Amino acid sequence: MTTKRKFLTTAAAAAAASALPVAVRAQARPAAQEDIVLGASVPMTGVFAFAGIGIDAGIKDYLQILNEGGGIKGRKVRYVPEDTAYKVDQSMAAFKKITGQNKVNLYYADSTGFVKAVNPELDRMGSMIMTGASFAREISNAQRYPLQFMVGPDYSEMVGILLQYIAKAKPGAKVALVYSDTEFGKDPVEAARTDTRKLGLNLVQEIVTPPGSVDVSTEVIKLRRADPDYTIFHGYVSAPIPEFINQARAQGLKSQFMGTFWTMDNSTVMRMGANADGFMGVMPYRYYYDTEKAPMLERIRKMRPEYQSTAYMQGFLAAMLLTEAARRCLDAGNELNGKNLKTALSSIRNFDTGGIIGVPLSIKGNSIPIGRIYKADFKQQKMLPVSDWISLQ
Amino acid sequence: MRIGAAKQTYAADAALFDTPTQRAWVAVTAVALVLFPFVASEYWLYLACLVAIHVISASGLNILTGYTGLVSLGQAAFMGVGAYTVAVLQTRWGVPALVSLPIAGVVALLCGVVVGLPSLRVKGLYLAIATIAAGVMAHFVFSHFTSLTGGSAGLSVKPANVFGLALDNSFRFYWLVIPLTAAALLGAANLLRTRIGRAFIAIRDRDISAEVLGIPLLRYKLLAFAISSFYAGVAGGLYALFFRAVTPETFPLVMSIFFLAAIIVGGLGSVLGSVLGAVFMTLVPEVLRLVMGWLPLSGNAVLYLSPVRTVVFGALIVLFLVFEPLGLAEVWRRVRRTFHLWPFRT
Repeated sequence: MTTKRKFLTTAAAAAAASALPVAVRAQARPAAQEDIVLGASVPMTGVFAFAGIGIDAGIKDYLQILNEGGGIKGRKVRYVPEDTAYKVDQSMAAFKKITGQNKVNLYYADSTGFVKAVNPELDRMGSMIMTGASFAREISNAQRYPLQFMVGPDYSEMVGILLQYIAKAKPGAKVALVYSDTEFGKDPVEAARTDTRKLGLNLVQEIVTPPGSVDVSTEVIKLRRADPDYTIFHGYVSAPIPEFINQARAQGLKSQFMGTFWTMDNSTVMRMGANADGFMGVMPYRYYYDTEKAPMLERIRKMRPEYQSTAYMQGFLAAMLLTEAARRCLDAGNELNGKNLKTALSSIRNFDTGGIIGVPLSIKGNSIPIGRIYKADFKQQKMLPVSDWISLQ
Repeated sequence: MRIGAAKQTYAADAALFDTPTQRAWVAVTAVALVLFPFVASEYWLYLACLVAIHVISASGLNILTGYTGLVSLGQAAFMGVGAYTVAVLQTRWGVPALVSLPIAGVVALLCGVVVGLPSLRVKGLYLAIATIAAGVMAHFVFSHFTSLTGGSAGLSVKPANVFGLALDNSFRFYWLVIPLTAAALLGAANLLRTRIGRAFIAIRDRDISAEVLGIPLLRYKLLAFAISSFYAGVAGGLYALFFRAVTPETFPLVMSIFFLAAIIVGGLGSVLGSVLGAVFMTLVPEVLRLVMGWLPLSGNAVLYLSPVRTVVFGALIVLFLVFEPLGLAEVWRRVRRTFHLWPFRT
């Protein structure tokens, strides 16, 4: 047998030998009865890792604060994450693994695709509630997604908040909507058409770009012809927004450019370049460096002196609301199961998030339609608030 | 060939499992597959179902690429066609899974024949690029034919209902997917021992010579596409019934690359290669996840080790390609030979 064959045979044998005890041991590992488990399918690799890493840190930090304060009625909350690479089948595998090895009551999901796929299983199990990174409008439907909720407004509501701001700032303004030809991009389009009519705005142009498109010159020409006062981008994280803005500015377009949550992280906006100075967008949470009174932000800044992303804030608030539901459920003397947890979550009224959201929040459906408009200031390299908190409730 | 396995009839010589030892192993495997759901957790059952779906699709692609030599990057698109067929038939007309799955295969088959037409003029990388177009067109139809496909939001699918039993968890789904996978593999193995299979191999080895030998290229190349797409359609239908949600983004180009990688790693032109490749590509990331979970590391282990897991997975693929270009199937054959000839060396 040659050396390489020996190598392969040894490697295969070692892999098989190591996999078996691992599998057995992993399954045999008991869950501490007193712990409440928060499972999470988090993308720590792949295209969405930039957000997943922040979400993971946010959840961890909130649970650390909670557990250091004694947990929930003396019970610690244990965080069990798995990487998903932002793939539905891997997210589902992570879900099965985590729920197979732990008694999970709270879960964080990483994508709309996974949320849709896991929903029937979630209903069948009936043991947990779930939130996650998806703000898809469909999940707002509490009848179809009875055990899920969103930590913020859905995408339609995000655009709705932007439109409310526009209607107030410039009544009758001309608005253009630029979105990607994806489920994510198309999500708020119907609602945006309705909202612009209701608010007396003029939706002058809708531009759909292929996913991952780079050359946007023809789209920019369309935009120039429409000459909108405001241009809302949705369905992107960054590209092709910077290219769009650069070309539009080069052609003398004065439109005010805006974005939704996943575009709005400080680092994402600042990477767009100087032409994006003044870029605005909707943000359901305060930024890490906001100066307004926010005890929880101060706590975060003490724990992590360096900037934390908006994804971090989302993860932090997700953990806060999931555990608040568990607290209310236990306070009422109810068993921790999906139905009771969702009822407890829906009982949240005027809840103080410690300043993560600038107004007390109440949960009435599957979304929390509150947000604020922030504007990029390139000199300070910060996103600064330009509106009060806008609630669609 | 196993020593001492002398054949006395043509039937014995042509048998798929031609020695008592082989038949015994098949029986052991069958028993293991039957017992598996009763001892495995939901997590392993989920993975078993996922692997089985991948095996069907990889087998189809191996017939096309491994046996006929036609490189395709459209397998995910054909799976998408199958998935949408099942979803539409179920949501619109309530067609049961056992009826909709073969229909899904046939619809994908028809699409495959159309997409396969360029194979008559181009091959290799050129054909691969032509088949990518199938994915682009399929994505366009899935996301824009809203009245049928639900547009970008896709369709939600109810669990497969077989004889009144809803296959709403991995345990129940297992009993649908495993027999279908076994049938698909048996079909592939038998197909390749027929005139059709031999024609495929002849086309792969030298298509002009094959034509000189009397093999009509048009018919056989399209037949290869048709069979491969049928497998993909059935696999896609199962995927829809398993995940119960189908969107245009469920079947991206990278999924086609996944299957191509699976058959290359497993072994081109080998039914066993399709199985081993699909198992490897699906399970190795999960096994690596388990191995890393087993290591005594701090709470941030998942964060730091996840990229390592991805790199190790990639490195394993490269290592196999470098050290064993004939794939896992060849490793398997070598191990078998070692046992057959033991204590002598191969």
